[in-house]
Amino acid sequence: MKILNAVLGATALAAVSLVSTIAQAAGYPERQITMVVPFAAGGPTDTVARLVAESMSKTLGQQIVVENVGGAGGTLGAARVANADADGYTVLLHHIGMATSDTLYRKLPYETLNAFEYVGLVTEVPMTLLARKDMEANDLAGLIEYAKANKDKVTVANAGIGAASHLCGMLFMSAIETPLVTVPYKGTGPAMTDLLGGQVDIMCDQTTNTTKQIQGGTVKAYAVTSPERLEILKDLPTVKEAGLPQMEVGIWHGVYAPKGTPKEAVDKLSEALKVALKDNNVSTRFAELGTAPSPESDATPEALKAKLESEIARWKPVIEAAGQYAD
Amino acid sequence: MDLFNNLALGFATASSIENLFFCLIGVILGTLIGVLPGIGATATIAMLLPITFQLEPVSSLIMLAGIYYGAQYGGSTTAILINMPGESSSAVTAIDGYQMARKGKAGSALAIAAIGSFFAGTVSTFLVAIFAPPLTEVALKFGAAEYFSLMVVGLVSSIALAHGSIVKALAMVALGLLLGLVGTDIYTGTARFTLGVREYADGLNFVAVAVGVFGIAEILRNLESEKTRSILMAKVTGLLPSKEDFRAMIAPVLRGTAIGSVLGILPGGGAILASFASYTVEKKISDHPEEFGRGAVAGVAGPESANNAGAQTSFIPLLTLGIPANPVMALMIGAMIIQGIVPGPNVASEQPALFWGIIASMWIGNLMLVVLNLPLIGLWVKLLTIPYYVLFPIIMTFCAIGVYSVNSNVYDLYSVAFFGLIGYVLAKLRCEPAPLLLGFVLGPLLEENLRRAMILSRGDPMTFINRPISAGLLICAALVLVIVFLPSVKKKRAEVFVEED
Amino acid sequence: MNSLRFDMANLLCGLLLIATGIFFALESLDLELGTALRMGPGYFPFILACALMLFGAIILVQAFRAEGEPIGPIAIRGMLFILPAPIIFGLILRGMGFVPSIFLTALFASFASQRMTPLYAVLLSAGLTIFSLLVFVYGLNLPFRAFGPWLGF
Repeated sequence: MKILNAVLGATALAAVSLVSTIAQAAGYPERQITMVVPFAAGGPTDTVARLVAESMSKTLGQQIVVENVGGAGGTLGAARVANADADGYTVLLHHIGMATSDTLYRKLPYETLNAFEYVGLVTEVPMTLLARKDMEANDLAGLIEYAKANKDKVTVANAGIGAASHLCGMLFMSAIETPLVTVPYKGTGPAMTDLLGGQVDIMCDQTTNTTKQIQGGTVKAYAVTSPERLEILKDLPTVKEAGLPQMEVGIWHGVYAPKGTPKEAVDKLSEALKVALKDNNVSTRFAELGTAPSPESDATPEALKAKLESEIARWKPVIEAAGQYAD
Repeated sequence: MDLFNNLALGFATASSIENLFFCLIGVILGTLIGVLPGIGATATIAMLLPITFQLEPVSSLIMLAGIYYGAQYGGSTTAILINMPGESSSAVTAIDGYQMARKGKAGSALAIAAIGSFFAGTVSTFLVAIFAPPLTEVALKFGAAEYFSLMVVGLVSSIALAHGSIVKALAMVALGLLLGLVGTDIYTGTARFTLGVREYADGLNFVAVAVGVFGIAEILRNLESEKTRSILMAKVTGLLPSKEDFRAMIAPVLRGTAIGSVLGILPGGGAILASFASYTVEKKISDHPEEFGRGAVAGVAGPESANNAGAQTSFIPLLTLGIPANPVMALMIGAMIIQGIVPGPNVASEQPALFWGIIASMWIGNLMLVVLNLPLIGLWVKLLTIPYYVLFPIIMTFCAIGVYSVNSNVYDLYSVAFFGLIGYVLAKLRCEPAPLLLGFVLGPLLEENLRRAMILSRGDPMTFINRPISAGLLICAALVLVIVFLPSVKKKRAEVFVEED
Repeated sequence: MNSLRFDMANLLCGLLLIATGIFFALESLDLELGTALRMGPGYFPFILACALMLFGAIILVQAFRAEGEPIGPIAIRGMLFILPAPIIFGLILRGMGFVPSIFLTALFASFASQRMTPLYAVLLSAGLTIFSLLVFVYGLNLPFRAFGPWLGF
C-alpha cells in the first residue's frame, strides 16, 4: 500500500506539475520577467540589456526588469540563471564571456553547453586595435613589424582577465605569433588613461569604449575587427583589409534561459527579441554605442547555440596557449 | 574663457529641475543627520550609497555632495544650541558658539556660522573650478610609479592626521590594505583570501564594508547606554548679527576660508583639521585672546568658514586624480564606480556635464542651505526629540535593502554583519575606522600600481626614484613621517586632538 | 599588584591584530610569493601581514606601560539583534520575497533596544514595510518580488 501510495502520489505530483507547466506556458508571460545581467550596472553590457529589455517588454506585455548580478567574470550571474526555476521568468543576457569562461575558469558551477536553453543573438560589438598617440608605426603592418622588433619592450594593456580587451590582446599576440608584455588593469578606464598618457603601447577594446578617443585623435587606431568598415569610423580599415584576417572578432551578446524552460516560453522570448532588434529606438542607441543589432536570422535559438559552440572551440587553444586562467 | 563656458555648462546641468531636487534632498538630509548627534555624514553617505545607484550619475553625486556639506551646517546648529557637536568638524564651533548662545546671542551665532560657511563655500567652489582642470592635465602624466608614490603620500598623511595612537592608525591602514586585497589577483587570476567563496572573487563589496564599519558600528555604540537625550536648549532670538559682529567676523572668515581651502586638498585632513587650525590661528592673532571660550565671534566665524572651505576643496583630488582625500571622498569614489564612472583625470574631458555639474551644485547647495536653514532651525531642533530606538530599525532596513540592491549578492549582506562586528570591536579598542577604510580603497590600487610599475620598468625598482614626480612625492611622504614622529610634534598633536570625540 | 596594571583595550587590540596578521600571513604563504622584482600574488599581502603583526606587537607592549580607560559597556543586546538582521534578510529574501523579509528584518532589529515594546515594534515594522514596498519596488523599480516561491507564489 505504501508503495502504491507513493507511486500514486508521485504520479499526481508529476501530473499537477505538468499541468501547471502547460498552464504557465499557455498564458506566458503572466508576470514580470527578470533579465539577469552578469555585470555591473552602467557598463556596455548593461546598456545593451536595458535597451533590449525595454523593447521586449512592450511586445510581451509584461515588464522585464534587469537585475545586475556582477562578479567573477560574469560566471556568478550565469550560475544564478543556470540554477533558477526553468519557468521562463528568469533569463540571462551574457556576452562572449559565456564561451571564454568555459576555458578561463577550470571550476565552473555549471556546464556551459548543458545548462541553458538558447533564445537568440542580440548584437556583435566590434573591437578596435589602438596604440598610444606617438606610436612610430602608421599602419597595421608597421605596428606588427615594430612589435616583432621590440617584443621585450612593447606593452599591451587590458582591463583584467576575461575582459574584451584581454581576449583581443591574446588574439593579437597569437595572430602575430609574438608574445608581448601584458599589463593588466582593473577596468577599461585606468587602462585607457595610461594609453592616453603614453604609459603603455597597445590596447584593443570594444568600440563602445574607444570611439570617442579615436574621433578625438587622442590615440592612434589601426584597424577594426568587424568584417565591414563602421559607419562612425569610416577611415578605419578592417583587420582583413589591413592583412590580419585572423583578428576578426566581435563581442557578441546572447539571451539564454535555464535548461528545461518550456519551448513555448523560449519561442515567445525569441519572437520578442526579433521585434526588439528591428525597433528603431534600439538600433539608434546601438549605433551610438558603435554597434548594430544582429540580423533577424541570428535572433534564433539555433544561431546562438551554433555561435556558442564555435566560439568555445575557437578560444580554447588561444587561452590555453596564453596559459592564464581566472581561477 | 573656457572657465566661464564650463561653469555655464555646470550651472545648466545643476539647475535642471531633477538635479535641483536631489541637491535639495541632499542638503536637507545632510542637515538632518548633522543636527542629530551620533549619526555622522560618513555613515549616512555609506548607507545611502546603494540607493543612489538608481539615480542618474550626476544626480546621485550631487545629492551625496549635498549631504556632505549639509552635515557641516547641521553640525554647527547642534553645536551652538546644545553644546554638542553633531559632526566632529564642528566640535570647535561648540566652544564659542554655545557661549554666545548662553549670552542670548544664539541667533547671531547661527547666522554668523551660516554666512561664514556660505562665503567660504562660494570662494572654494571657484577654487575647485579654477584648479581642477590644470591638475587633470598634470594627472595624465602620472604613470604607475607616480600613482604608487602619490598613494603612499596619501596613506602617510592620513596616519598623521588620524586621532589617537599612530601605531594603531598604521595597523588600521595595514588591515584595510589587506582587506582590500581580498578577491582575484588581476595579474595571475589567483583567488586570494576568499575562503573559497566565489561571491568574493571580485573582492569585498566596498558599500558593505563601509556600511558595516561606520553605520552598524555607530548604531551599536549608541545602543550601549540608552539615555534620553537631555536638551538644555538655548533660545533662538534675533537672527541678524549686529554691526559690530559683522565687522568682527570679516577677517576671520577670510582667514578661515584660506586655511580651509589649503588643508582640504591634503589627503586625510579636510574639514576637521581645517576648523582646528583656524581656531588656533584666530586665538593666536586676536587682540583679545581672553575672549575665546567666552563667546568670541571670531571663534565661530573662522572655524565654520574653514570647515566648509575644506569640505569643498577636498573634491579637487577626487575629481582630478580619482584619489580620495578623506573617507567621505572614498565613498564618493564608490558612488562613481557603482555608476560605471571611473574616477580619474578623464572624468573632466569625458563627462564635462557631470564634472562641472557637481562643482556648480556645490554653490547652489550652499545657497539652499543659507536660505533654508535659518528659517528651519526650529524644525531641526524638534528633530532632536525623536527617540533613537525608532531610528535604528529604519536605518537597518534601508541598509539591508540598499546593500543587496547593488549586486543582488546575499554575501554582501553577510559582509555587512561581519564588518559591523569588526567596526564595533575596533571602536571599543579605540581604533579609528577611517584609516581602515582609506586603506581598503587604496590597497588594491597600491599593489596594482606597484606591480605595474615593476612590469613597466622591467623589474627595476629605481623607477620610483628615477622619475622626478615620483621621487618628489616619496620625499614628501618621508618628511611627513619624520615630522609626525618628532617628539615635539607628537605632543602638539595630542593636544590638538584631545578635544575631539 | 604591579602585574595587573595594564590597558585592557590595548592588550586585546594587540592580540587581535597579531592573530589577524598570522591568519593573512599563513594564507599568503599558500600563494606564490615571487621576488621583490617579480612579485607574485602572495608577496604584497605577506609583507602587509608581517607589518600588521609588528604593529600588533608594539601595541601589546604599550598595553603594559600604562593603565588606560576601561573598555566601558558593551552593547550585547544590540549585537544580538542588530548583527543578525542583515543575515536574516539575506537568508529569506529570495525564498519569501520582499514584503515578509523586510517585515521580519525590521521586527528583529527593533528588539535591539530595551525600550521598544512589542506592539510598537510590529507597528513600526509594518509601516516600514509599506513604505519600502512603495519606494523601492514601485517607485525605484528595484527587481524584488513582493512574495517569494516559499509562500506559494
